[in-house]
Amino acid sequence: MKNITALPAALLLGASLSVGTAQAADEAECIAPAKPGGGYDLTCRLAANGLLETGLIEDPMLVTYMPGGIGAVAYNHVNGVRTDDPNLIVAASTGAAVNLALGKFGQYDASEVRWVGALGVDYGAIVVKADAPWQTLDELMTALQEDPTQVAFGAGGSVGSQDWMKAALTAKAADVDPRSLRYVAFEGGGEALAALLGNHIQVFSGDLSELKSQLESGDIRVLAALSEERMGGPYAEIPTAAEQGYDVQWPIWRGYYMGPEVSDEAYQAWVERLENLAGNETFAELREARGLFPMARFGDDFDGYVKDQVADFKELAAEVGLTQ
Amino acid sequence: MFDFLIEGFGVALTPLNLGLAFLGALLGTLFGALPGIGPINGIAILMPLAYTLGLPAESALILLAGIYTGAEYGGRMSSILLNVPGDAGAVMTTLDGHPLAKRGLAGPALGLSAVASFVGATIAIIGLTLFAPLLARVAVMFGPAEFFALMVFAFSSMSVMMGKDPIKTAIGAVLGVLIGTVGVDSGTGVMRYTFGMPELYDGIDFVVMIIGLFAISEILLMLEHAHRDDVDDKLPPLGRVFVSLKEVMACKGTMLRSGVLGFIIGVLPGTGASVAGAVSYTTEKRLVDKDNTFGTGDMRGLAAPEAANNASAAGSFVPMLTLGIPGSGTTAVLLGALMLYNITPGPMMFTDNPEVAGGLIASLYIGNLVLLALNLPLAGVFAKVLTIPRWVLVPAIAVLSFVGVYQLHSDLTAIYLMLIIGVFGYLLRKLGFSLAPVILGYVLGGLMEENLRRALAISGGDTGILWQSGISLSLWIAASALLVLPWLVPKLLKQRPSSQA
Amino acid sequence: MSIAADRCLGIALMGLAAFTAVNALSLEVPFSYDPVGPKAFPLGLSILLGLLSLVLVIRPGENGHWPDKRLGLRLLGVLVLLLVYAVLFPRLGFLLSSMLVIAALAWLFEASPLKAVATGVLMALGGQWLFTHGLGIGLPGLPW
Repeated sequence: MKNITALPAALLLGASLSVGTAQAADEAECIAPAKPGGGYDLTCRLAANGLLETGLIEDPMLVTYMPGGIGAVAYNHVNGVRTDDPNLIVAASTGAAVNLALGKFGQYDASEVRWVGALGVDYGAIVVKADAPWQTLDELMTALQEDPTQVAFGAGGSVGSQDWMKAALTAKAADVDPRSLRYVAFEGGGEALAALLGNHIQVFSGDLSELKSQLESGDIRVLAALSEERMGGPYAEIPTAAEQGYDVQWPIWRGYYMGPEVSDEAYQAWVERLENLAGNETFAELREARGLFPMARFGDDFDGYVKDQVADFKELAAEVGLTQ
Repeated sequence: MFDFLIEGFGVALTPLNLGLAFLGALLGTLFGALPGIGPINGIAILMPLAYTLGLPAESALILLAGIYTGAEYGGRMSSILLNVPGDAGAVMTTLDGHPLAKRGLAGPALGLSAVASFVGATIAIIGLTLFAPLLARVAVMFGPAEFFALMVFAFSSMSVMMGKDPIKTAIGAVLGVLIGTVGVDSGTGVMRYTFGMPELYDGIDFVVMIIGLFAISEILLMLEHAHRDDVDDKLPPLGRVFVSLKEVMACKGTMLRSGVLGFIIGVLPGTGASVAGAVSYTTEKRLVDKDNTFGTGDMRGLAAPEAANNASAAGSFVPMLTLGIPGSGTTAVLLGALMLYNITPGPMMFTDNPEVAGGLIASLYIGNLVLLALNLPLAGVFAKVLTIPRWVLVPAIAVLSFVGVYQLHSDLTAIYLMLIIGVFGYLLRKLGFSLAPVILGYVLGGLMEENLRRALAISGGDTGILWQSGISLSLWIAASALLVLPWLVPKLLKQRPSSQA
Repeated sequence: MSIAADRCLGIALMGLAAFTAVNALSLEVPFSYDPVGPKAFPLGLSILLGLLSLVLVIRPGENGHWPDKRLGLRLLGVLVLLLVYAVLFPRLGFLLSSMLVIAALAWLFEASPLKAVATGVLMALGGQWLFTHGLGIGLPGLPW
């Protein structure tokens, strides 16, 4: 008995021995510009575990945390200190693109770094409680048009964050001024979801992947997915906003960038590495386990996508009165 | 009804899972005892490992839950021995724990806090087993207005800590709240006091704050003590190693009350071990501290926050397991771990994956027994830390502080900030300030502002929302009673004899 | 002496309160969904802080001993050492920077030179092993 219980302990410590070695100079590294456990951590782990399990890299990839301003600290670090590190990728997402557009990343803009690719995407969702009076997005929009002050929106981010954008875009699609909304900023989607279940807010503009358990239990109704087309699996029943006549899309991509002075060879090597990974079946399972949908944009394609997106967001921010 | 628990014990008692529970408890204690590396980091660091090892879901969760509860046990050690809180929940533990150690009672203090942790956690796990679904429904009734009322209550309960220098306590709390306003305003996205530095956008990190305020300032104070010959700060020889049954029994009421209180606070999403520790400490001070010995090494002042922070750790599993909503940063990470296994916690989990839900709860029972068994006999060993000479202890504290902050930020600005806060903490302590109000102001102030503004955003500015619900109304009444009664009662008592005369 | 210290603190805090208030007033808010906004809270706090520090200036309390010149210099020494540690930490890596700084700190805390060096070497090696191998924490490696 004693020997058997000691076995897993020894195994685990042994494994931590091999994983935890100090970083060597030529080892791949991913900076998660957040605290451990957040969305960026997940983004880095997706690449790290995926590349290792599919054999695309030999040594485990190091994940470093650099929290601050939804990626602003890491962005400045990569643009100022580790500008040409061929082994370093940094996690980014739609949230980072929004902040780049709002000028919250300091002196640098989106064209500074080299965007490598995205490995997965999540989509925004407009959610109400199961016993809410609105059955479709259209009914909610009509109610909003009649009196926007009767419907309180909530989400896990402040004004100007990507969570807020989902609410603002939805209001805009109904010709309602986003400023006349009732909007409540919570600390993360979990708190906002709790507030929805407790009847403190009426609409939650969240992400599809964080709704799985409430969908199963039937506590909530998703009025619209903010995706191009219907998603599969547990989300098959959810209509898109476009289907219901409202042109709102909100993909939350999870991707990576590299420093501005990284050589073309190193950049190209990473593009190929991620491309190979995205095509792998083992990786597809990993991605799904993290609640992400497939997305495949790499290299110049992704670079252009991000830059276009930032430009769009800039326009949008000016339109809704966030910037001049 | 408790089929899942029986199945759970079946799962948790397999050799592999017992071993993992033991390992988790051990690693957790270590993670918690090292300042700056708390439960969140411990779990986040080991989570990918558990996954890569190919452990089944329930085993991985048992390991991670062991780390979580173990860290809450471990956090108290450096609080008691070094006056440096090991994690957020252990800030209040320094208030009476360290004075006890200074009187040569480090062993009994460590022992008592282990017992208190065990009692608190056990109360909470029983609560979790019996009432989880019911409590989850109560927890979501706490909206912004109710949280605001809760914060008002917490601040007014702090008035008991005013002590001999009320002005400095108040200034300390205000400074703490002010430090908490640094960073992006969560309502409008406006930057406050960031001076254009992206490193400050997220505000001043809790870990940087407690390590700077406590650990760095402690290093400076130790140098001063080493240098001055006029004060004899030699510690009395380590006396007894074990806590006596009599001492434990004297704290029994405190432990039970604080356990229940901590559990309730832990269940509420958004409040955690630090709030639980603060509220239970001030509540107990008001209830049982007749001779004003809290803060000078009162065993009950040590038992209260320790029972409460462990209870709140177990309590935060309630919203996670029943609603799929993380009640704390740590459970958010655990939730992520479950999702890797394609298990979505929530109302369906007890029926869909009873081995996971039951195994987790069973492992919490077992983990706690393991932790008690581990911590009681080791109290004497750990107490020896106090006999380590300063020239070993100080570098060790410095290294731990640096590694803790650096692995969290990978950035020098955070370390500079830690040093600046350390000097600030040193000055405050030299000027006769207590650090606890600063930390409490920092933790509670932000929650108070955010929830007030959220409530008013919902109502469109109508302040009526703040006392609309029964919950918030009772909290307001309790808060005003806390402020008025200590002032009113003596007056009434004085009046009575005169009217009889 | 102590009374003077409290007065100085009170005046410094008043300065801080004024700074906080001015800074809060200059915030530019595009728009806010709640009537309170981001300015009110810091403003209220600065008023409270101003009043409390006024009380402190009028009725200062007692506080402890202040370090003499020799001790002051050594306190400064410890701070500089910690600052040097911060600068060297990512550049020289954990092992080397820790060895140097631990030895120097131990010496400042009155260990004999031999003991100080031994502490530095042993603790840095032990720390490296505990953090990277025991707990799986990534540390900055050697500079080469």
